[in-house]
Amino acid sequence: MSELATRPSVRTAALSLGSIWPVAVVALGAGAAFFLFPYDLAFLTRIVIMMVFVLSFDLILGYAGIATLGHAAMYGCGAYAAGLVALHISPDPLLGLVFGALGGALIAWLSGLVLMRAHGMTLLMISIAVTMVLQEAASKARWLTGGADGLPGVSVSPIFGWFEFDFVGQVAFIYSVCVLVAVLVFCQLVVGSPFGLALKGIKGSPSRMRAIGTPVYRRKVTIYVLAGAIAGIAGALAAQVTGLVGIEVFNFSLSADVMVMLILGGAGRLYGAIIGTLIFMVVHHVAAAIDPFNWLFVIGAMLLVVVFALPQGLISLPDRLIRTFRRT
Amino acid sequence: MKLIKWTLCAALAAATGVWSDAAAADTIKVGVIATFSGPNAIWGKQFREAIDVYLAEHGDEIAGHKVEFIYKDVGGPNADASKAAAQELLVRDGVKYLAGFDFTPNTIAVAPLIKQAKVPAVIFNAGTSSINKQSDYFLRTSFTLWQISQPAGEWAAKNGAKKVVTAVSDYNPGIDAETAFSKAFEKNGGAIVEHIRMPLQTTDFAPFMQRIKNSGADAVFTFLPAGPATFAFTKAYNENGLKDAGIAFYGTGETDETTIDALGDQAIGLVTSYHYSDAHDSPLNQSFVAKLNELHPGSRANMASVGAYDGVHLIYKMIEAAGSDGAKALEAAKGLAWESPRGPVKIDPVSRHVVQNVYIRRVERGVDGHLVNREFATIPNVPDLGYEQ
Repeated sequence: MSELATRPSVRTAALSLGSIWPVAVVALGAGAAFFLFPYDLAFLTRIVIMMVFVLSFDLILGYAGIATLGHAAMYGCGAYAAGLVALHISPDPLLGLVFGALGGALIAWLSGLVLMRAHGMTLLMISIAVTMVLQEAASKARWLTGGADGLPGVSVSPIFGWFEFDFVGQVAFIYSVCVLVAVLVFCQLVVGSPFGLALKGIKGSPSRMRAIGTPVYRRKVTIYVLAGAIAGIAGALAAQVTGLVGIEVFNFSLSADVMVMLILGGAGRLYGAIIGTLIFMVVHHVAAAIDPFNWLFVIGAMLLVVVFALPQGLISLPDRLIRTFRRT
Repeated sequence: MKLIKWTLCAALAAATGVWSDAAAADTIKVGVIATFSGPNAIWGKQFREAIDVYLAEHGDEIAGHKVEFIYKDVGGPNADASKAAAQELLVRDGVKYLAGFDFTPNTIAVAPLIKQAKVPAVIFNAGTSSINKQSDYFLRTSFTLWQISQPAGEWAAKNGAKKVVTAVSDYNPGIDAETAFSKAFEKNGGAIVEHIRMPLQTTDFAPFMQRIKNSGADAVFTFLPAGPATFAFTKAYNENGLKDAGIAFYGTGETDETTIDALGDQAIGLVTSYHYSDAHDSPLNQSFVAKLNELHPGSRANMASVGAYDGVHLIYKMIEAAGSDGAKALEAAKGLAWESPRGPVKIDPVSRHVVQNVYIRRVERGVDGHLVNREFATIPNVPDLGYEQ
């Protein structure tokens, strides 16, 4: 009881403190990376975009306990929405992000109405099916999407009319980091809100939550749509940075990679998503640069080690170390 | 603050190529972007092995410049990875030429970069005609579907086929092949009785075989991506009695050297129209195939190998003419002609695509027991017929 009584004040304090420092760490890390690796900005931008995407997946898998293998559906819809808006309506990048979010949210809502009624294996299968249907549709609608050749020539105007996307990729990187920080703050607000607590409850025991009067299905659809919108933003960013949208945005491997990155970092914590993405992409990149032919071994070995030694993900490593030291 | 300024300067210098020029001295770097891992890794493997052959034959020096190849894996069709890889190669490694490119989206994604950096990009495979319109710095040593399908249509019409049904995989290359073949076939007096488009993912072709049979055609023209689909299609073609019913098979790259032996005896007699066979009868091709076997035992040369081999030759010629000056190199490449393992080739100055012979081949069992594509008719000097479409 005492815990509940002290909650509001503790929570506001924790929220204000807790929401400042991870954002600061991300911003500082991004700033350091910007100056330390000036030649790798294109790759760093891809990491940042993937972080946004994995964060959105953390909301549904990590917090609400909804395991899907079709998160690429929302990413892809966001990418196509942003690409088409840039080509046909306005090249403004922020408008593209808005439409990307709307695209992702719309497909998440449409598919979520069905998906959130399913569980376990059924949910996995249907979510894969949704993505495959979308990929086939994008491949067939050649007049709209360019089919398997991709939707080329997506170019965006300077951000706020000032910052033009440059060759080295500095603007693209800073732009993506700003979006990541905004998304991170938003995710923290969601996770810390009563709605976020309800999600954690649903993850723990849906039947109990139903018993205390939480509309479980509606909460799940809501978080699915929110996560869809963020995934759509990630897709839109990728479309704007690359300047091309291919039907590969709906690839199964993308949905699978996202799950791997999240589990690697630690699901159910926002930094888990960020650390998992960072480590996965960097190891992938370095291993592939050293040996472009056999690098998959390294990724496989790393995953095995993490899953067996740290089932909670890399984020639990400090805790584990502290506990081991205390024991000895 | 000083550090910040310095780093920014370095980044800028690298971007404009000033700094990397000085640092790289006389080594000219070539970035090869392709798929070296995952289910499509065969592309990168064939590219790399052919580059090895060229290096073994010609050394890594040309006109006083040392040539260094840097390989970048993009893991399959992935435009984001391809663009980031190109950016990294251009900005950090200071490459003066890009090469590789197996998939169309991966290729189109780098178009704005090579335009800005004035770096020629030699495409070893990606065969969509419109790619070369995206940037003047694209050069291509492979083929386009128009280039091989239109001659197939003309040849079929002149060699007895009256009614043809087309059956292609329902994606861009399939549609290109269908359109090019049909146009040429009808122009030469043939009739297309039906266009069948088959789902890309399917491996069950029995219902399509029935439709082909029912259409009353005397031949089927097909385009399928190499791999399981081709295997299942040719199997269904035999098992459903199309061969016995006298319906001829016209294809393009379905009998690729790397997968042909897996097709087995059922492939014997299939007729295809293509620009390269490792059984091409010329001394140059024989030495190319022999060298490949010596360096990489068990490997077979296919269209990707010859695309990469000729692509590297083109890059060597550009370096010889212009060193690391991209714009000048591009001019030197236009109109360049040479003898390739596939026969005589030339870079068309307008489309910057290779002009080459297209061969009509039939699958036979070769002397060493392997299945081969035996060329028996030649349509000489075919340009990229899809460029003006």
